[in-house]
Amino acid sequence: MNFLTKLRPSSRESSLFIILIVAVGGTGLINPRFLTGDGTRDLLTSTSVVALLAIGIAPIVVMRHIDLSIASTVGLSAWVVADFCAKNPSFTWVQCFVIGSIIGLAVGILNGLLVAGLRLPSLVVTLGTLYIVRGLVYVVSNSVDYNAQEMPESLLALGQKVYFGLLPFTFLMVIIAMILMALFMKYTKSGRDAYAIGSNPPAADLVGLKVFRRTFLAFVFSGVMAGIAGVFYLMRFAQVDSTAFYGQELAVVAAVVIGGVTIMGGSGTVVGAVIGALLVQTIQGGLAALGVDAFWKAAINGLLLIIAIYADRVLAVRNEKQLLAQRIRERI
Amino acid sequence: MSKFAKVGSVRRSWDTAIIGLLLLVWVFASLTTSNFLTPLNFSYIFSNTSEIMIIAFAMLFMIILGEIDLSVASILALGSSMLGWSYAKGAPIWMAILICILVGTACGFVNGFLVTKLGLGSLAVTIGTLALYRGIANGLLGENTVNEFPEFWTSFGFDTIGKSFMPKTLPLIIFFGILFGLLLHKTPFGRRTLAIGQSPEAAKFAGINVVRHKMIVFTFTGFMSGVAGVIYTFRFSTAQADNGVGLELLVISAILLGGVSIFGGIGTMWGVVAGVLLAGSVESWLTLQEINAQWRTIVTGILLLISVAAPVLVQKGKARRERKALKS
Repeated sequence: MNFLTKLRPSSRESSLFIILIVAVGGTGLINPRFLTGDGTRDLLTSTSVVALLAIGIAPIVVMRHIDLSIASTVGLSAWVVADFCAKNPSFTWVQCFVIGSIIGLAVGILNGLLVAGLRLPSLVVTLGTLYIVRGLVYVVSNSVDYNAQEMPESLLALGQKVYFGLLPFTFLMVIIAMILMALFMKYTKSGRDAYAIGSNPPAADLVGLKVFRRTFLAFVFSGVMAGIAGVFYLMRFAQVDSTAFYGQELAVVAAVVIGGVTIMGGSGTVVGAVIGALLVQTIQGGLAALGVDAFWKAAINGLLLIIAIYADRVLAVRNEKQLLAQRIRERI
Repeated sequence: MSKFAKVGSVRRSWDTAIIGLLLLVWVFASLTTSNFLTPLNFSYIFSNTSEIMIIAFAMLFMIILGEIDLSVASILALGSSMLGWSYAKGAPIWMAILICILVGTACGFVNGFLVTKLGLGSLAVTIGTLALYRGIANGLLGENTVNEFPEFWTSFGFDTIGKSFMPKTLPLIIFFGILFGLLLHKTPFGRRTLAIGQSPEAAKFAGINVVRHKMIVFTFTGFMSGVAGVIYTFRFSTAQADNGVGLELLVISAILLGGVSIFGGIGTMWGVVAGVLLAGSVESWLTLQEINAQWRTIVTGILLLISVAAPVLVQKGKARRERKALKS
C-alpha cells in the first residue's frame, strides 16, 4: 500500500501521457499527416510558446498564486525585441534573448514585489500588471508593426532549425527547461518549499519557510520565461504588432490545470504542465482535422478546462478517502 | 476579532475616501478641461459605464461572498449574440430580449452549479466558462454581426430622456442599484452574504444554507450580465461574438476601487457606485484631454493596483504607528 501511494504523483503524469498518445493517435487516424515528421514538428512548434509559459507559471500555481500578466509580457518582449533589432541590424539571436529576458525580469520583479512584498492577492496584482504591460505595448509601439525583414536572420534561422527531422529548436529548449525545472522542484529545498507553501500558506509561514523569497523568485522566474517566450513568438510568427498574444494568458492557465497542477496549490508538476500544453494543442489539431470550425476553438478550450478541473476534484476526493481509510487501517 | 474590526474600519474609511476621491477628480477635471462638467459629458459617463454598473451590482455580492465570476463579459457576449441571432432569424424583438436575459441567467446557473454542487474553485471554473461562453457565441455568429434593430430599442440604448442629460438606461440602472443596495444592506439575505464572506464555516454552523445562497448569487450575476448584454447590444446597435471583450476586468477593478475586499466579507453599494463612476470619470477626463487612448489601459491597471494596495498600506502604516506609540 505504501508503495502505491508513493507511486501516485507520477501516475498522474503517466495517465496524462497515455491520454496524449491516444489523442495523437486518434488525430493521426483522421489525418495521417499528423503522425509524420512534418506533423509532429508543426505540433511541437505551435506548442513551444504556451509550453514555455506553462513551465513558468507552474511553480506559481503550485504556490497557490497565479500570474495573469504573462501574455502581456510576451507581447511587450516580442515587440521591444523586434524594435531593437529593426534599429540595430547587427543584432543576432543572442541580443534578442538577452533583451527579452531583461523585459521579462522587470515585469517579474514588479509582480514579485507587489505579491510577495506587500502580500497582495496575486490575482488582482497580475490583473493590474496585465493591463499596465499591455498598455505599455500600445504606447511604445504606436501602431508600428514589424515583419520578417526587420528581424535578424540568425534568429529566424534558429526558429526554422529542426533536429532529427521532427524536434524544433524552440521545443528542444522547452524540454531542457522542463527537465531542469522538474529536477529543481523535486530535489531542492526551494522546490519542496513551493509545495509546502501551496498546501498551507499560513502553516508555511509559521514553520519559518522563506515565503517572501520563494514567492518573489517564482514570479521573477515566470516573468523571465514570459520574456523568452516573447522571443519564441517572434521566431515562430516572424511578425509582431501591439496585440501580439493578446488574451492568451487563460489558455496557459488552462494548459497548466489540464496538466494536473491544482489551481488550489500544493500539487502538480512541470512535466504535467508541458503535457497539458501538448494535449490542448493536439486536441485543437484533431478537431481541425475533423472539420470543426475554428470559431469553436475557444469553446472547446473552456470545456476541456472545466473537465480537467472536475477530474482533478474527483481524483482529489478519492485520494483523500483512500488515505483516510489507510490511516484507519493502520490504527487498527 | 480586533484584527477584523480594524480592517473593517480601514475599509469603511476607504469607502468614504473613494467618494471624496471621486469629488476630487471631478473638481480637478473641471478645472483642467472646460467641457468636463457639462450635462452632455455626464450623460456620456453614465452611458459608457452602464453595463459595468449593471454587472457590478451583482458582482459585488459575488466578491463579498469570497467567490469570483470572470465569465460575465462572455455571458454578455453570448446573450448579445443570441439576441442578434434570434432576431435575425425572425423572432420578435421582445422575445429576442427575453432570450438574451434567459441565456444569461442559465449561464450564471451553470457557473453556480459547477462551483457549489461539484465543489470546484470559482476562479478556475469561470476562466473555463469565460472561454466556453465566448466560444459558443463565436460558433453561433462567427464573424457575422447583426446590426439592424428596431429604432425604439436602439434609441433606448443610446439616446437621452427628452432634452435632459439622463440616458434612457439610467432609470433602469437606478432601479437595479436601489434594489441591490437594499438587498445587501437592509435584508437578511445581504447580512448572510456578508457573514458567508467573513467565514463560510461559521456561517454554515450558524445555519445558513451556503450552497443555496451561492447558487442564488451566481444565478443573478448571470441574469444581470444578460441585462447588460441587452443594453450593450442596443447601445452599440451591434450583436457580435466579441462584444465586451475584457469587460470582466473593468468590472472587478471598479468594484475593488470601491473598497470591496477581494478576500470577501466587506463591501458597500455606495462604494461600488463611486468606484464605477471614478473609473468612468478618469476615462472621460483622459478622453477630453485628448490623451492617447492607449494610455487608458495603463491607467486602468494602475487604478486597480492602487485600489488593492491602498487599504493594505493604510493598515500597515496604522499598525506601525500603534507599535511606536506602545513602545514610547
